[in-house]
Amino acid sequence: MKGGAIPLLVWGAFLAVLGGLNWIWTGDAIQVGTFGFAILVVIVGAGALVLLSRDALGRGAPEPRSDPEAVPDVSVGAVLAGLSVGSILFGLVFGTFFVYFGAGMLLASLGRLAFEVRSQRRSERSVEEVQP
Amino acid sequence: MLRVSALASVLPGVPGLIYTRRAYDDLFSYYAPIGIGVFALFALAIVFAVIRYRGRPPSAAARWHENDRLEGAYALLLACVVAFLLYLTYSAEHKVDSVSAHEQPRLTVDVVASKWEWTFSYPAYGITARSGAVGDQPLVVPTGEAVRFELSSLDVIHSFWIPALRFKRAAFPGHTQNITLAFGSTGLFQGQCAEFCGLRHPEMIFSVRVVTPQQFTAWAARGGGS
Amino acid sequence: MGGAGRRVVSTTTSSLLAERRIPGWLGSLTSTDHKRIGVNLGILSLFFFLVGGVFALLMRAQLAAPNGHLVSDNTYSELFTMHGSTMIYLFVTPMAIAMAMYLVPLQIGAVGIAGPRLALTGFWIWLTGGVIMQSGWLTGDGPGRDGWFSYVPLSDSSNTPGVGQDMWVVGVILAATGLLVMAACVAATIARHRAPGMSLLRMPVFTWTAFVTVLMTVGSFPVLIFVMVLLYLQRQGANIFIGFNGAIDYQDLFWFFGHPVVYVMFFPYLGAAAEAIAVNAHKRWFGYIAFVASMMAFSALSMSVWAHHMFTTGGVTNAYFAFTSTALVVPAGIEYFDMIATLIGGAIVLRASMLFALTFFLQFLIGGLSGIFVASPVLDYHANDSYFVIAHFHYTLFAGSVFGFFAGVFHWFPKVTGARLRESLGKLQLGLLVIGTNMTFFPMFILGQEGMPRRISRYPTHPGWATLNRIETAGAVIIALAIAVFLVNLWVSLRRREAAGEDPWLGHTLEWATSSPPPVHNFDRPLPPITSYAPLLDRREAAEAQVSRP
Repeated sequence: MKGGAIPLLVWGAFLAVLGGLNWIWTGDAIQVGTFGFAILVVIVGAGALVLLSRDALGRGAPEPRSDPEAVPDVSVGAVLAGLSVGSILFGLVFGTFFVYFGAGMLLASLGRLAFEVRSQRRSERSVEEVQP
Repeated sequence: MLRVSALASVLPGVPGLIYTRRAYDDLFSYYAPIGIGVFALFALAIVFAVIRYRGRPPSAAARWHENDRLEGAYALLLACVVAFLLYLTYSAEHKVDSVSAHEQPRLTVDVVASKWEWTFSYPAYGITARSGAVGDQPLVVPTGEAVRFELSSLDVIHSFWIPALRFKRAAFPGHTQNITLAFGSTGLFQGQCAEFCGLRHPEMIFSVRVVTPQQFTAWAARGGGS
Repeated sequence: MGGAGRRVVSTTTSSLLAERRIPGWLGSLTSTDHKRIGVNLGILSLFFFLVGGVFALLMRAQLAAPNGHLVSDNTYSELFTMHGSTMIYLFVTPMAIAMAMYLVPLQIGAVGIAGPRLALTGFWIWLTGGVIMQSGWLTGDGPGRDGWFSYVPLSDSSNTPGVGQDMWVVGVILAATGLLVMAACVAATIARHRAPGMSLLRMPVFTWTAFVTVLMTVGSFPVLIFVMVLLYLQRQGANIFIGFNGAIDYQDLFWFFGHPVVYVMFFPYLGAAAEAIAVNAHKRWFGYIAFVASMMAFSALSMSVWAHHMFTTGGVTNAYFAFTSTALVVPAGIEYFDMIATLIGGAIVLRASMLFALTFFLQFLIGGLSGIFVASPVLDYHANDSYFVIAHFHYTLFAGSVFGFFAGVFHWFPKVTGARLRESLGKLQLGLLVIGTNMTFFPMFILGQEGMPRRISRYPTHPGWATLNRIETAGAVIIALAIAVFLVNLWVSLRRREAAGEDPWLGHTLEWATSSPPPVHNFDRPLPPITSYAPLLDRREAAEAQVSRP
């Protein structure tokens, strides 16, 4: 979408200036490293946006799109995925049962999510077929 | 600007000695009025704007909504304020951190923090005093002389704070920090651990007894005590 | 036809399992609608706010008199740790994300959030983190008790043993992960789901504040997660943070998150207050371009100030961090300039939302100016770890952000629920909150100056300390009253609804161009033309010009 990556790059440039100043002023490896990490995140984010759409570097406003968009209303898979991550980490503290339980739930939720995404794609296709 | 060069100025009769209290007070005397002034300015502006422009019909609202030149000039003014504050701060910090470190200490005290007490030892005199959850032997120091503290910790991070000096420094395990402080007037002052260090952190307090150099010499010759 | 100009279909067809809705509030916890996620995150954050508030009241009760003995030293350390952790990880930060989650798609004319399932997963990860963190109270050793920044070596297993502390670490990891995921979804929405015509420089003021907020989140929260994983391993026996350098490294990594999060907890509330002020002055926000530029600079700068928390360690280059921290004056000053220039020439209506927004700017100013004060290392050598710092950050977080939060609540409640909050109760709440807040936090400046350290469960009978502390405790009770008035207001306003209509305040931005509450896919009609950051104001002004032309 138009211009989405630009503010990330601008912000990353600000960070690079401040990080560079930090490098010169302090020379502290950890501090420069954290700056470097944040800059990396921003650049990776901007890069991902550009890969998804070349428009991410374009100027101006987004234009109307005609392809249909399927939006999920509920997702049990997403809920289970969140709970399973919590369960696995809780299990690290409280006992391996929760780790296994969480891992099982994670697998189930991933299956469920795959199923949900497939039905979303199918909805999009069915609308496209009806209203080309 | 004359006052600026007097930052962390010396007390009469003790040339070159850096008093943290004085450095703090001088800096405070700039920062506090500027802060209070800025607050008053904005508070008045808000109150004025609200009283002047309330209760008008929506269509009466002005349409103008930017003035880049004015805002740019304002940003420049702010940058000048920042530069001025930083100049004050850097001069003060240079004295407190760097100049004081080069003073020739008359006295060196090892300060060892541990859960939950302070151990002050005077290697030159073989004196040790403890204060905190168990003891209450004060740290005794002379006025008008550079005192070097070699600060360390036995367990977790503590922080050596003497509010009357407006100064504190964290104490880390396995690491000694040198700080040089000077005490301006005699009296009994409070000191305490400022970094939370566990259960009995509130009891990790000590007193500082500041005496004249003559009294200090006599105290040291007696081998400590009260 | 949805708002974004694309045909929108719900993923409801073609399967038995895909559309089995669970009724009620519990069912809404499976919704991928950004409005549901935002509201649920907001409600739960508000719940944690009450929990953290109870911890604060218990602490104030303990400190009401010298040498208090209402709670033990151990309980007190649990209370201040969990008060800070609850407020930061479970209230102010998630509430900021909740507001962004709810409002950003509406303000930019999107039909939903980017990655709705991911956002929902993030919500649940955050929630399990909150529950696990608070569950520490049920363990034998109690919950976290080494402060919300959990410095090593105090936080290692020999100095702070116990499963509750482990649960605190795990809770922080989960809460931060959940918030990070949700923030990434908001960022992607802004990058990819703006409506046709919504260029970056037509995004509303709140959306910009939310955007820089989520940028800071994705840039800094991974570092928190990383350092907490290391802390967890250290507590399991790994030697990671060793000696002085290890302790400094921990602090560097922690505060690399810990200071940006302060602004994560500020910018969206600034944006909320700014929207309330512009709408209630019937004038568009002044100096939009300068504001956007200053937000970019402000947020980047705020990623570079963290080690001002470490001035007294002797382990960092103080001059650099004094420079960056003091330089915050410039962008912050721009925000205040814009606020006042928005008021001047406006047509001001003093609704509760406006009053909260104005007091937000006034109260926060005390926090901001005292922040410049402690940005000077020599001044911080005294103020650090004293009640002066407690006063400073409560003026930013409570007297600031929470006032901005209430400005946002009074402003957008009609949009979210379709009903208005009671104005009179709102003004009563504001009055109580102003009195209570300043009674509670202003004396802390004096106590800190006089040498009272933070995190002590008992203080000796110094002259004046007992009186100041008693004033603070009384102030805390008044704050509790104000919050009670707010809860009553919620109850009354939802019970006996005063219908708000879709645009009760003559709003400026797209969320006011749809029904209240908005339908599932946000816009049930074509969007108005997006001509600036205040499209609805543009439309009204054009209509007025039409009328006045004979």
